[in-house]
Amino acid sequence: MSIVPNKPLPEIHELTKPFWEGAKNGKLLMQKCSKCGTVNFQPKPWCIECGSRDMPWTEMKQEGTVYSYTVSRTVAMNYPGWKEELPVILCLVDIDDGARMYAQVKGVDPEDMKVGMRVTAIFEDISEEYGIPKFKPL
Amino acid sequence: MRGKVAIVGYGRTPYSRLKPGQPVLNVDEYIAWAAELALEKAGMTKADFDGQGLGVSHAEVAHTVNWSAATAENLGISPRALIRGDQGGSSATSMLIRAASLINAGVIDRALIVGADTPLGMPSVAPGLPLSPERTRGVYWDFQGPFGVMGATAQFALVLKRYMHEHELSVEQLGKIAVSNRYHASLHPGAIYRERFDLNDYMASPVLSDPIRLFDCVPIVNGGLAYIVTSAETAKKVSDRPVYVRGFGEQNNHYPGSRVFPDLTETGFSQSAPIAMEMAGVEHSDIDFFQPYDDYPFISMMTIEDWGFCKKGHGGKFIEERNLHFDGDFPLSTDGGQLSGGQPGGANGGFMPLVEGVCQLMGEAGERQVKDAEIGGVCGFGGIPYGRPGRSCISVVLGAEA
Repeated sequence: MSIVPNKPLPEIHELTKPFWEGAKNGKLLMQKCSKCGTVNFQPKPWCIECGSRDMPWTEMKQEGTVYSYTVSRTVAMNYPGWKEELPVILCLVDIDDGARMYAQVKGVDPEDMKVGMRVTAIFEDISEEYGIPKFKPL
Repeated sequence: MRGKVAIVGYGRTPYSRLKPGQPVLNVDEYIAWAAELALEKAGMTKADFDGQGLGVSHAEVAHTVNWSAATAENLGISPRALIRGDQGGSSATSMLIRAASLINAGVIDRALIVGADTPLGMPSVAPGLPLSPERTRGVYWDFQGPFGVMGATAQFALVLKRYMHEHELSVEQLGKIAVSNRYHASLHPGAIYRERFDLNDYMASPVLSDPIRLFDCVPIVNGGLAYIVTSAETAKKVSDRPVYVRGFGEQNNHYPGSRVFPDLTETGFSQSAPIAMEMAGVEHSDIDFFQPYDDYPFISMMTIEDWGFCKKGHGGKFIEERNLHFDGDFPLSTDGGQLSGGQPGGANGGFMPLVEGVCQLMGEAGERQVKDAEIGGVCGFGGIPYGRPGRSCISVVLGAEA
């Protein structure tokens, strides 16, 4: 019996827990600096703009624009369970008034993907308590 | 610091893909082998480094937390200064800068710099995931792996796709780099893949992560490299052909534009290259050959742009118009690069542009020798930050004269 999970699951830490819990409840949360207003993502120990450590998790808009994308046709440096989902569309999404993030795009043919495409978040469960955001065309 | 230090020895072991019949060496053995080659070239012994500097690059298979000190123990050297390379593909060049600074400050006179890795055959947490455990834990991984990031190829494919959205660049132009690198590999006995291919073969190679295809990717190998850097005074005594460090520049964690929404089409070479060239006192037209960190052809192309050989967005056209062969008007990756030479672990491929630059300027490049080479540009490019192309971008100008 393999101890390797089919697909990678995040380790949940105190720092990042709100993100995964938010996704479970259909919310996209990012750290927003209360001093300068900069949205930080991925999670940071202090604001990368001003250095303030006061960055409460804040609900973001769920719409964004595809900054770039790629269609992965093989599994490389990740877990073999992704094979069933190939091709995997991975993008960088610029969340409106938020920050840029890696995310999967679902519900679209790879041929129809475009830089600049407007997308909206969808949420999938990864456990009883936690979820992960993905995106679909708006 | 122009011309204050020089490289007087270099070594690059044969590489292995762990094919049947190929020797199975561990990382310590590769380090010793590479060091031996560099010492022979410099006419030195390991005793010459007691009380001097020892630089050690990270290895995926590093078997202790005190990697540089453990390497000193394995080699039986008692250095005054240990230098640790943990900047991925820019480790070799970053250690050159650290060693040069220590030499210039009078702390040491010389340093032996080594790097090796045996990523093939490394125990893996999952099939298809040949990564050390340190790569698959922590916040950095938690916000990539579960989101479907398929390694460097997917990460760089996002950069390339964006570049192609903003600028004119054809797949064929990138293919020309891969084909030229393989041509140079055919002239380099140490390259792992030496059979020439043409643009049709490149185009026929499968797309892995659109628009990056198989022939755009570095093959992973086991192997080791080393070099010896010393003060210019010592260099003149021990070597007929010292290769001088004319200039260097380093930019880490570069944000082109906003930190939150950076422009992915620019690398930190836009900052480090002008500094290196100014220190060296050279113009672009003075540079006789160029060794970028070629983990992907478009990284070579973007490096050429950000060094300023052409305007941003004109890299594809530049590649198309220039002859990239060792005897052409823009000799590029004259050892075959990592693309055809192989990458001995993520922290050691960056020795290759430097070692080839030294080899060319010593006039020892054999069939691929750039005629009358006097000035070379070499690069280190290391680490992949979240959603951006390169954590460390180091530019070095080497010269046959100080």
